[in-house]
Amino acid sequence: MVGLSAGEKHFLQGGIAQDLRSDGRKRLTYRPISVETGVIPQANGSARVRIGATDVIASVKAELGKPNPLQPDKGKVSIYVDCSPTAAPMFQGRGGEELSTELSVALQRSLLGGKSGAGAGIDLSSLIVVEGKICWDLYIDGLVVSADGNLLDVLGAAIKAALSNTGIPKVNISAAASPEEQPEVDISDEEFLQFDTSGVPVIVTLTKVGRHYIADATSEEESQMSSAVSFSINRHGHICGLTKRGGAGLDPSVILDMISVAKHVSEQLMTELDSKISAAEAYEAES
Amino acid sequence: MGPRDGGGIGDLAGEMEVDAFRLLFPLRFYERHLLESIRPDARPLGTARDTSVALGAVGSADGSALAKIGHTTMLAAIKMEVMIPSSESPDEGCVAIEFHMPPICSPLVRPGRPAVAAPVISKQLSDVILSSQMINLKELSLITGKAAWMVYLDIYCLDADGSLFDAALLSAVAAFSNLCIPAVSVNEDGRVIASSGENREGKTMKELLNKEKRKLTLSCIPFSLTCILHKKYILADPTAEEESIMETLVTVVLDSSTRLISLYKPGGPFLAYTSVVQDCIALTSRRVKELQKIISEAISDMEAD
Amino acid sequence: MAGKSATAPTTYSPSPSQRKQKPIFKDVDWVRPDGRGFHQCRPAFLRTGAVNAASGSAYAEFGNTKVIVSVFGPRESKKAMMYSDIGRLNCNVSYTTFSTSVRGQGSDHKEFSAMLHKALEGAILLESFPKTTVDVFALVLESGGSDLPVVISCASLALADAGIMMFDLVTSVSVSSLGSNLVIDPITEEESCQDGSLMITSMPSRNEVTQLTLTGEWSTPKIHEAMELCLEACSKLGKIMRSCLKEAASASQE
Repeated sequence: MVGLSAGEKHFLQGGIAQDLRSDGRKRLTYRPISVETGVIPQANGSARVRIGATDVIASVKAELGKPNPLQPDKGKVSIYVDCSPTAAPMFQGRGGEELSTELSVALQRSLLGGKSGAGAGIDLSSLIVVEGKICWDLYIDGLVVSADGNLLDVLGAAIKAALSNTGIPKVNISAAASPEEQPEVDISDEEFLQFDTSGVPVIVTLTKVGRHYIADATSEEESQMSSAVSFSINRHGHICGLTKRGGAGLDPSVILDMISVAKHVSEQLMTELDSKISAAEAYEAES
Repeated sequence: MGPRDGGGIGDLAGEMEVDAFRLLFPLRFYERHLLESIRPDARPLGTARDTSVALGAVGSADGSALAKIGHTTMLAAIKMEVMIPSSESPDEGCVAIEFHMPPICSPLVRPGRPAVAAPVISKQLSDVILSSQMINLKELSLITGKAAWMVYLDIYCLDADGSLFDAALLSAVAAFSNLCIPAVSVNEDGRVIASSGENREGKTMKELLNKEKRKLTLSCIPFSLTCILHKKYILADPTAEEESIMETLVTVVLDSSTRLISLYKPGGPFLAYTSVVQDCIALTSRRVKELQKIISEAISDMEAD
Repeated sequence: MAGKSATAPTTYSPSPSQRKQKPIFKDVDWVRPDGRGFHQCRPAFLRTGAVNAASGSAYAEFGNTKVIVSVFGPRESKKAMMYSDIGRLNCNVSYTTFSTSVRGQGSDHKEFSAMLHKALEGAILLESFPKTTVDVFALVLESGGSDLPVVISCASLALADAGIMMFDLVTSVSVSSLGSNLVIDPITEEESCQDGSLMITSMPSRNEVTQLTLTGEWSTPKIHEAMELCLEACSKLGKIMRSCLKEAASASQE
């Protein structure tokens, strides 16, 4: 937890009210973003994203599995976030567990869409190999290395970068003897299919401090928040997930106002992330 | 502290502070009542609290019942699943009984730390229900050696106010009397599947496995009564407060023809004399008649609906 | 329940786990399985004082969803807890093994406890019980859809029954989006094939939203529509809960 003196609190809140935050940003400006891809060679895809002092690594591992009998035409994705004890003193022991679960649930909600699979950022039906028999299971792991606020947005960006870095091996299916049996598969070492990430949304969190709300809050600013709303917004400007944090109530009209602001912010963030990701991939290909 | 002191405190307290006296000197409070052969809730010593049973309380179960003894509330529900019977007893089904004390039922239970009493009562319940021969396990067989019923009986304590075992057993027995075994047939893969009404009229008509045996025959139904022994007094059907103050408990389980199935006296500072045990059994046999009436009324109420 | 299934792994429920014909929700003239209108909530039955052993409790029944919530405290915080000049709120949601059609499936709702906590904490005057803890425990007896909203509403009723000070009652309602339709207070069958869902937890008299979650893809006008629907239903539910509390209070006075 961040301890602030009364003077610091006043300075911080006053800055936000005047649209000039302690680090010189405007209310809706993000800190500088840096993206690195392919940081973990064993994973099918990985990325490290830093926004300000918040540092996060995401990895994607693909394994062959069996689809859920209730949804035979879909693959499975599981998202898990771990908060490293090095990131903040409060994560030591079991302290980070609650936050880890909260972040994992929020990311699942943002990326996986409704129960029927509609609105999912990750197209689950593209993960199917043989309907009802074999599918890809994607294990997405996020690791918070250093925490300085706005974890959810950074994790969302890291997962987006890791997914666009992901190559799923091509699978050759030898014809099965009978429909009852499990078909034999041959996983190619050379051919990879690029994962389609055009539908993956970005997450924008608006944190309410005093009467105003700010984007990309640092942990100092987060300590002064009354509530925060995270929006996950895709390329079409549609909301794909929404999570509210913080106990204080919000007026419904404020939420609707926040939605339109978040949309505007997400467009800029999406463009910036896309260029950063492609630059990182180009750099990785060169080296 | 002598009796004079206690009396003095009682006089000092007066009418207004009965509750304080009850909290500070619970044992003295009770003993004063016992002298007059009455309990703080206005019951005579040998009388149980108001008891009620409602059948079919859970829609998603195959058989269920809600039993209330005073404030103590138990919800029992049975789910039937299919299993492959063990090779030792190929023509018998199985009954699994579990007693749960969720954190809602008592201030003493907290999530993550299960109640100490729950596994004890679980074990007692399965011992009594299985040893009483109430259920003929052969009736649970579907295909000898291939398929049999696994009966999952889960009992949840919703409100714990003493005599948990009595209430749990009552709800378990009532749930069994409410049990309606689903009609099943065998499909091509050898799996047993439920045959719904639509299926029967459709072209995939299959032989029903269990046409007749849709209800279990319950013989020798067990009923129980817990009593507290304190000095020369026997208190039937104690509340949670009584159980916490006076520690010697005796639980007697009799079947419907008043044969003794189980007698359980878990420690406590008071020794039970033969005559006291006989008194407990006599109280229980009176209670069995009451409970039988309550159950049969619940069943006839259910049938009338 | 994991241990249970490990000892008897061979059992299975005879009722088919997969429905053969998926109901077609996308039709315009589609009728909900229980015959309700799209914007019609299930009839609610609410009672306080369900559990005698608790400081306050409530029972809620919305169609087939049946929930009991007990509130204990304010009582001493656990020994390991640090000093705190505001009270703590501890929430837990559990399911009975028979709450779902297949035995023991209801237990995978770990996040519900955290969500219940988040929905309630903004409404409670935590300053009114420093150094102590209020425990809110919920048990879902039967799960029939919209479980979490029912648990949240029932929990706020139980808190009121326990005499815990709150700014307002907390009411919660969810909406499912099925094709082009929005259906309020969905049942399990509708939830299992929904395209998206939106749940609002609000304090109706203060016109504030304490908790809001959304899944699936939504356009802004649709969010507007769903929020309006939910808030309207929340204020109606708030009135029902208020009258339930008034009834209980006048009954205890007599």
